[in-house]
Amino acid sequence: MDLNYAPEDLAFRQSVRQWFQANTPKVEPKTLAERKAWHRTMYDAGYVGMLWPKEYGGRAATPMQQAIVQDEMARAEAPPAINGLGIGFIGPTIIVHGTEPQKQRYLQKMLTAEEIWCQLYSEPNAGSDLAGLKTRAEDAGDHFVVNGQKIWTSSGPIADWGILLARTDPKVAKHKGISCFLFNMRQPGVEVRPLKQITGSSLFSEVFMTNARAEKSDLIGTLNGGWGIAQTTLGYERGANSLGRVTRYLMGFHHLVKSVKDLKRDGRALIDDPVVRAKLGKLYAELEVQRYAALRVLSALSKGEPISAASSITKLSYTEFEKRFYETGLEILGPWGQLMPGSPDDVTEEVSTSSGEPGTFATAFLWARAGTIYSGSSEIQKNVIGERVLGLPKEVRADRMKG
Amino acid sequence: MDFAFTSDQQLLKSSARAFLDEHCKPAAVRLLWDDPRGESEAMWKEMAQLGWLGLALPEAYGGSDLGMVETALLLEELGRASYPGPYLPTMLVATAVNRVGNDAQKNRWLPAVSAGGARAAVALLDGELSWSAESIATRAEKSGTGWKLYGTKPFVAWAHVADVILVPARGAEGTTLFLVDPAAAGIKQTPVTGMDLATRWVNLALDGVPVGLDAVLGGLGKGQGVLETILRMGAVGAAAEMLGAARRCLDMAVEYAKVREQFGQPIGSFQAIRHKCADMLLEVENSHAAVYYAAWALDANADDADLAASVAKAYVGDAARKVCGEAIQVHGGIGFTWEYDLHLYFKRAKALEVQYGDADYHRELITRRVTA
Repeated sequence: MDLNYAPEDLAFRQSVRQWFQANTPKVEPKTLAERKAWHRTMYDAGYVGMLWPKEYGGRAATPMQQAIVQDEMARAEAPPAINGLGIGFIGPTIIVHGTEPQKQRYLQKMLTAEEIWCQLYSEPNAGSDLAGLKTRAEDAGDHFVVNGQKIWTSSGPIADWGILLARTDPKVAKHKGISCFLFNMRQPGVEVRPLKQITGSSLFSEVFMTNARAEKSDLIGTLNGGWGIAQTTLGYERGANSLGRVTRYLMGFHHLVKSVKDLKRDGRALIDDPVVRAKLGKLYAELEVQRYAALRVLSALSKGEPISAASSITKLSYTEFEKRFYETGLEILGPWGQLMPGSPDDVTEEVSTSSGEPGTFATAFLWARAGTIYSGSSEIQKNVIGERVLGLPKEVRADRMKG
Repeated sequence: MDFAFTSDQQLLKSSARAFLDEHCKPAAVRLLWDDPRGESEAMWKEMAQLGWLGLALPEAYGGSDLGMVETALLLEELGRASYPGPYLPTMLVATAVNRVGNDAQKNRWLPAVSAGGARAAVALLDGELSWSAESIATRAEKSGTGWKLYGTKPFVAWAHVADVILVPARGAEGTTLFLVDPAAAGIKQTPVTGMDLATRWVNLALDGVPVGLDAVLGGLGKGQGVLETILRMGAVGAAAEMLGAARRCLDMAVEYAKVREQFGQPIGSFQAIRHKCADMLLEVENSHAAVYYAAWALDANADDADLAASVAKAYVGDAARKVCGEAIQVHGGIGFTWEYDLHLYFKRAKALEVQYGDADYHRELITRRVTA
């Protein structure tokens, strides 16, 4: 057991820190073009797609190096890269399961964010029970014809491509008739309707597919083998971003402390209120524990150990913590904590939210509700932990009894 | 960056588990509940032979020269067994003697501790139940070439079996640590019964207890820094024990949920139970990270060692209470009985919550540090 950073990691961190000090934009990029430009700047510096193999435009970096970059980005409060779903999940899926022509066609443009990707998984009646999805892909000879509806599609409004799960055999058990496609979002049969979220922004959407087209060459893996692919996609490592995520909370904590020193209640600074001090101490203890746990995951990743089912513990832990973090922050700040962006600067503290969108404590508080729902809700994570980590018996489910 | 245990550390852990499974079964712990001393001389000697008592002491004094990570590994196993005895206070006092004691003190106490011939207690609290070293009210009054000690020291763990008690007291020079003979004149010991019968507390009344210059540990007026070190190590050690208690309760709950049937199914197949167990595992794994980060930070003399000790004590105290309590809930009625063993660990975790600084105290230390 040795939790010191290796000398080469310290040197790498130093160079990354200097780069972000010099290059972080002074004005938050707003338009898609501006965000793509910032993404490209980071890519050219070698800070995007770091774990990808070099042959597909990546850096073949170590998980520790990637974690350091994420950590320094958070420390600099730099705007995030875009295409996170593509680079974090979809690209690695193509690398593992895709054909060589698929890799050549899609990977480089995904990394550089020339093409933005989304994930076409959830449907109105297939959320946690994803395998119950109804979207059909029917073989039409030289291509598949796709009909159906997807929902909660993040980045849908800006996406050029999506990874699609669709039913290709309705006659077999639900997990066995699903295929996975790379799917063109820019075609006549696809309509994207943005959904406004509780934060007021519209980063996710509904997607309607009416006689849309999926090419045979864009099938990933085998026909009807899509569920296995979706499982690996859902299970991809959650570890390497964890350090940066904790540092983002830490920056938020510092903003909170600054406000608590400025604000007064009952004739004294909030920082002198013992109740507030107790809350801050509890929050910081939890935050540090998140950091220690992140280091533990990173240590396992660095040694190439599989963390598959244990990543459910990480996801459950940080998303539930994030809710408590901003809930407590808002308790402490009182009405000041509820200010949305656009209020006068001298009364609001900007923090970065879990979406990467800048905002106030109020926006971060609202965003925190998403974390325990997306990528497998907390309840689904607890089922996974119960069955696969603790070895508890499977529940009796109506669909399992049928299938 | 390596958060995993070395093979030597794993060996220590598994051999400790094997020894305690054999020699510190719940039945053995229960027998000692009714024993006036509350601990087993035979087990103490065996622990010495296994090298546990001198684990972190120098080889010159019969020790193994290992660190806080190994000590925490052992304490986790001791907590898992609800081990009754003065391991943690003895380790803390021996560490203090090793760090700041003179040769005579080291020669007197360290070989004896390593060999299982001496036990120690540390009187951290006094009358006002404050954990901060600045608030010590016990007085050291000059008397001839030495001092006389006056004050009240409540909740001193295992003082009744100790061969030496470390007593901090305030005198003209500031806070000084004294190595006090429990048999000295003027000491009145009153045992108090807490809920954990395998943790023994004694209230000490000091009424003119004579101590000489040879009892001064680490120099006149130099007590505060040493006390803070003891409190930090004690906090991490207690957190490790609480982690062990929590993991034992989790294991018992999971095993029970696999075999106990209601409505024709094992109760572990119900999400109400399974989700509870998943939450418990989350707390246990986070506690593991907190304990071993803090232990490593002490060994490495890391900048954030103080902070990490407070984080571990505050976090694991809450987590262990929750996990052990939920294990009782998973078991239902049987978990609430005296005969079932869950309460051994539930109570051990609870007893440690109030020692070496409670969560409120450590949270204030954290806030002070991170808002400065």
